[in-house]
Amino acid sequence: MTRKKLTFEEALKQLETIAEQIERGTIGLEESIDRYEEGMALVKQCRDILSKAEMKIQQLQQRADGTLETTNFKRPKEARVE
Amino acid sequence: MNGSQAAQFLLFTPLPQMKPENTKVELSNSPKNGSASAASGILTVSQLTARIKHAIQSAFPAAVHVVGEISNFKRHSSGHIYLTLKDQTSELAGVMWRSEAAKLKFAPNDGLEVVASGTVEVFERTGRYQLYIRKLEPRGVGALDLAFRQLREKLQKEGYFDPRHKKPLPTFPQRIVLVTSPTGAALADILRTIERRYPCVHVLVYPVRVQGDGAAAEIAAAIRTVNANAEQLGGIDVMIVGRGGGSLEDLWAFNEETVARAIFASRIPIISAVGHEVDVTIADLVADVRAATPTAAAELAVPVMDEVLDRLRSEELRVWRAVRAKVELGGTRINGVLKREPLRDGMALVRRREQLVDEWNSRAHQSLARRFHAARRVLDAVEPVVRRIAPHAYLLRTGVLLGDADHALRWAISRRLTGYKTLVADHHGRLDRVSPANRVQRLAEQVARLGASLPAALTQRMTLLNQRLSSQEALLAAVSHQNVLARGFSITRLKKGRKIVRSVAELTDRQRLVTQVSDGEFESEARNIEQMDLFE
Repeated sequence: MTRKKLTFEEALKQLETIAEQIERGTIGLEESIDRYEEGMALVKQCRDILSKAEMKIQQLQQRADGTLETTNFKRPKEARVE
Repeated sequence: MNGSQAAQFLLFTPLPQMKPENTKVELSNSPKNGSASAASGILTVSQLTARIKHAIQSAFPAAVHVVGEISNFKRHSSGHIYLTLKDQTSELAGVMWRSEAAKLKFAPNDGLEVVASGTVEVFERTGRYQLYIRKLEPRGVGALDLAFRQLREKLQKEGYFDPRHKKPLPTFPQRIVLVTSPTGAALADILRTIERRYPCVHVLVYPVRVQGDGAAAEIAAAIRTVNANAEQLGGIDVMIVGRGGGSLEDLWAFNEETVARAIFASRIPIISAVGHEVDVTIADLVADVRAATPTAAAELAVPVMDEVLDRLRSEELRVWRAVRAKVELGGTRINGVLKREPLRDGMALVRRREQLVDEWNSRAHQSLARRFHAARRVLDAVEPVVRRIAPHAYLLRTGVLLGDADHALRWAISRRLTGYKTLVADHHGRLDRVSPANRVQRLAEQVARLGASLPAALTQRMTLLNQRLSSQEALLAAVSHQNVLARGFSITRLKKGRKIVRSVAELTDRQRLVTQVSDGEFESEARNIEQMDLFE
């Protein structure tokens, strides 16, 4: 399997597939254990994605050529209440 | 007809009140006509027109508001609008210059009843008077309401609100773009809500003006630009477009066609969040999902972290349970194999074979004994006859014959015994191949491999199985065929030549013998050699 960086959604989907494969019993014991290890790696990956505790906020600004650049975003003070 | 009516009206009513300025107009406007013509009471067309123009301007110095139904509506390519206002009996020509026409929110069209505000002026070249419209309002409803209805109807026809165009929102977004005012309460609400629920996302704020002239164009451009640059930004999962509450005018940008078109064309799912619950804009109708408030938009955009973690945990548990069940099943199967022959008792097969060999052996002995016996009887019977008729030559020949027969018999016996031996060896070989030991070793390897990747409880179980396999192995080794000697069999050889003694016939009295047993050998002497068993 290629070790491309999976999105959370992809990783979770793959994890579900693994659970199904092992449950269905179409694969042997040894493969099941390989898949299990793979599954635990996916769980770790998912946890890593979720564990970013601080929200990243940036501002978009259009350049002259129409492309966008990201700059720091200064959060306004939250004085106002809706 | 209009012209003449107006002319009459002007001539008979307002003219007298305007005298003082009138003269000035005459003077400035008719330099060539001369005072003579004026004095004679004859007016040129220009003079008359000028007077009429002046009269009208004096009569209606400020803006008038005229109610009427639009007909002959025409928007010229220059952007100017020409129309006729009419009621049941009269018509009035009207014009609206481009600069004013561009500000119209709704689309005027024939049959629409409107209130037109502007000034009445005379267009001298054609001698017609017209209403120069500054402001056009639909009658009975607000212009914005009408505009909203008109655009909604138009887009509805084009399928803009069709549910099949609605894109699903991602369950676990990674990157979100917010198109809104950078200083608005809406942005603060959205940021706070996302942070509280699911802080692992990357939020990109696209600052735009959300009200006033040009706001709609900025919002539409932002949506298009983000779509065009989505890849470069690493993929945008969802966009929130909106602002906080306000009046209909404040929210107007979100009712403009350009915003609607940009939202519809977006490949990225868009959540609209404009104003409060009661405010529904065109943007809301076109967006993939409408949120009642900016906070609600954030809640639609991201899941709750704890729920996601729960989901992940349950998935993890599911995989773990599945594999544990599988491993346990595997353990049961190994036990099953261990119980099966020949693993359960590796010796059984060996013993059965040996028993068979023993049986064959004794049967062979018996049958050979019988044959020797029979042969001896024939010889006994023949002997006296031979003796009687026995010339030396005959005797000699019979002796040779007997010798041959004896030799043949010996050879036959030895060949058969060799055959049995081969058979026994062969069985041992086959036993090796079905190989309890090999199989045990393979299983043990498998167990060891599985054990390495399993948690402690299972590893312990595997170790137990492994130990049981080892003890089986030891048992098998103990009963190996190499230990036949240990079980009491021995091999006896002539001391001279080390030839194995297979028959007493090979022995002479007091011959020296060497006997091999399991742990060594000893010498002995042949005495009282008998073949009683065989030759009785």
